[in-house]
Amino acid sequence: MRWLENPQSRAEKLLRDGLDLAANRTGDEITHRRVWAQVADAPLEPESRFSTRLVLASASAAVALLAVAGVIAYPYLGSHRAPTVVAAPKATAPEPKAASSEPPNAVPNQIAVEESERAPGNVVRTRKGERARVALGGGAIADMEEDSAITWDSQHRPSVEHGSARLSVPHQPPGWRFSVTAGPYVVTVVGTKFKLDVDGRSVGVEVTEGVVEVWRGSRSTRLVAGDAWHGPLHPEESTVQPAAATPSAPPSERPRTTTAGLPSVAPLAAKAAPPVSRSLQEANAAVQSGEANRAAEILARAAQGNGPAAENAAYELARVTRYNLGRPRQAVALWDKYRNRFPSGVLRTEADLSIVDTLSQLGDVRAALAEANAFIARHPNSERRGEVQRLVERLRAVEAGSDTR
Amino acid sequence: MVVRSGDDAGAPGALTPQNTGMGQKQNTSAPIAASASIADAELVRACRTGDMVAWRSLYDRYAPLIHRFTAALGVPAEEREDAAQDIFIAVFRSLRHFRGEAQLSTWIYRIAARHAIRLGRRRRMRETMRVVMLKERPQPEIDPSERSTRLATLDRLLAKLAPKKRTVLVLFEVEGLSAKEISDVVGCPENTVWSRLHHARAEMIRAARRMVS
Repeated sequence: MRWLENPQSRAEKLLRDGLDLAANRTGDEITHRRVWAQVADAPLEPESRFSTRLVLASASAAVALLAVAGVIAYPYLGSHRAPTVVAAPKATAPEPKAASSEPPNAVPNQIAVEESERAPGNVVRTRKGERARVALGGGAIADMEEDSAITWDSQHRPSVEHGSARLSVPHQPPGWRFSVTAGPYVVTVVGTKFKLDVDGRSVGVEVTEGVVEVWRGSRSTRLVAGDAWHGPLHPEESTVQPAAATPSAPPSERPRTTTAGLPSVAPLAAKAAPPVSRSLQEANAAVQSGEANRAAEILARAAQGNGPAAENAAYELARVTRYNLGRPRQAVALWDKYRNRFPSGVLRTEADLSIVDTLSQLGDVRAALAEANAFIARHPNSERRGEVQRLVERLRAVEAGSDTR
Repeated sequence: MVVRSGDDAGAPGALTPQNTGMGQKQNTSAPIAASASIADAELVRACRTGDMVAWRSLYDRYAPLIHRFTAALGVPAEEREDAAQDIFIAVFRSLRHFRGEAQLSTWIYRIAARHAIRLGRRRRMRETMRVVMLKERPQPEIDPSERSTRLATLDRLLAKLAPKKRTVLVLFEVEGLSAKEISDVVGCPENTVWSRLHHARAEMIRAARRMVS
């Protein structure tokens, strides 16, 4: 039984209620994303000499042990178990939505892969003319096209080796993400539908629903419904030039791309950007020491790159321009530039609110009203909605007052 | 066709999405019954290889906990983002030293508690200096996103506790840890945990009664 489960007095009830509220004070998504943007590219301390020595010693010991094990096991090597090949079960029921014009073998085989089978080296493969529906666990389903293969990597994540698969991932509980790899990329989702294509040269992702992040190393790009992205399967062979991570047009106006004409967005395929996290730290230090112009220069350079830190820099540049350089008009333009570049960015809500706030401070009532109304329409469930609604009412009163004068 | 190969078919469940996190009471409907310790161990292993997706998973799993815990330990809203950032960077930097003897969550709580107490010490020092040097009374910090009076009242009552008692009370009453787990986090015997908890509760009730009356 919990402490003060049955409060006997007002004081005890006050405490119990407060503790219950405190247990649910977990922060909002925007805050968590903003912190992640700072943490993601934080430079880590180099390994200490002691650890390096320890690693070297362990590696030497491991090599020695392996050599001994090899000598002992050599006589038995010929008797190792060969991989067994098991045919996929034949589909017993036709796919309800299968088009009648499709060939008979278009009916996908239903393959439920047990947890124990999601192990490195296991493969689900379709031949020419075959399709398969594979349950990947966690409610995720992959509809594999013909001549495709899904395997599992060393971390037990599904990996599309080649071919094409449409993935449908149910919404994951808070803190959980579903990951699937393709070549050097990791695609992570919270809950969505998307298509993954892997041919001999490139990896393509088309998002039907929800939001997808494509990662390579520490760099990522964010795709929303209607976006398509492709990158080279072997990035080191690529000559793709860096490009903007996100099209500048709003999602609804973006052209839906097909596999025949995927835009070369490929921010992950670009050459590694300079470490912008250091730039952010330098910019902070410059602001602290009163050198706002230098901070703005550093942030402008950092914002040229890609990834979460560059996005953060683009937002921070506008903030420094407004609060430290005292140029609110220019700040509004920079926040506007930020949201055009990152229409689904993690700081999008903050940018929208900053614009509303700055315009109202400037006394540009009409523009502030338009922005505030757009905010309410765009974020109907935002926790800041009430605040913006009150501002709208005040701005309307000001507008009405100026009209009557 | 399905090709099954390899001898490690009995390996623990996938890193995502089936992994289970601590402090995620709502995740009990996970399709795969992998224990939290296995999932955390997998996650730690992947993080150590430099897998950024694993880092992100670890962050997603623990960010709400860090926010809740630091808030209950009195880190004000405007310092909470920086505190979370510092805590995660400390976690990422020292994960290679994590030996797996305690739960990952216990280890993270320990880092977060130390950081929050350090911040509290600095804040009190700043406030004292402000009072002494400038004769200014510190302004009460009000987080606009936490308009609930009850929550603000609880924070005021918690602020009256000594840091050690506050940490134990928060870990027990807010975070739901057992006395054994708390003793691992704060590094004291279980009996001391019970003793601090007893005193903290008594002080909280006395303070609440004074406030109500």
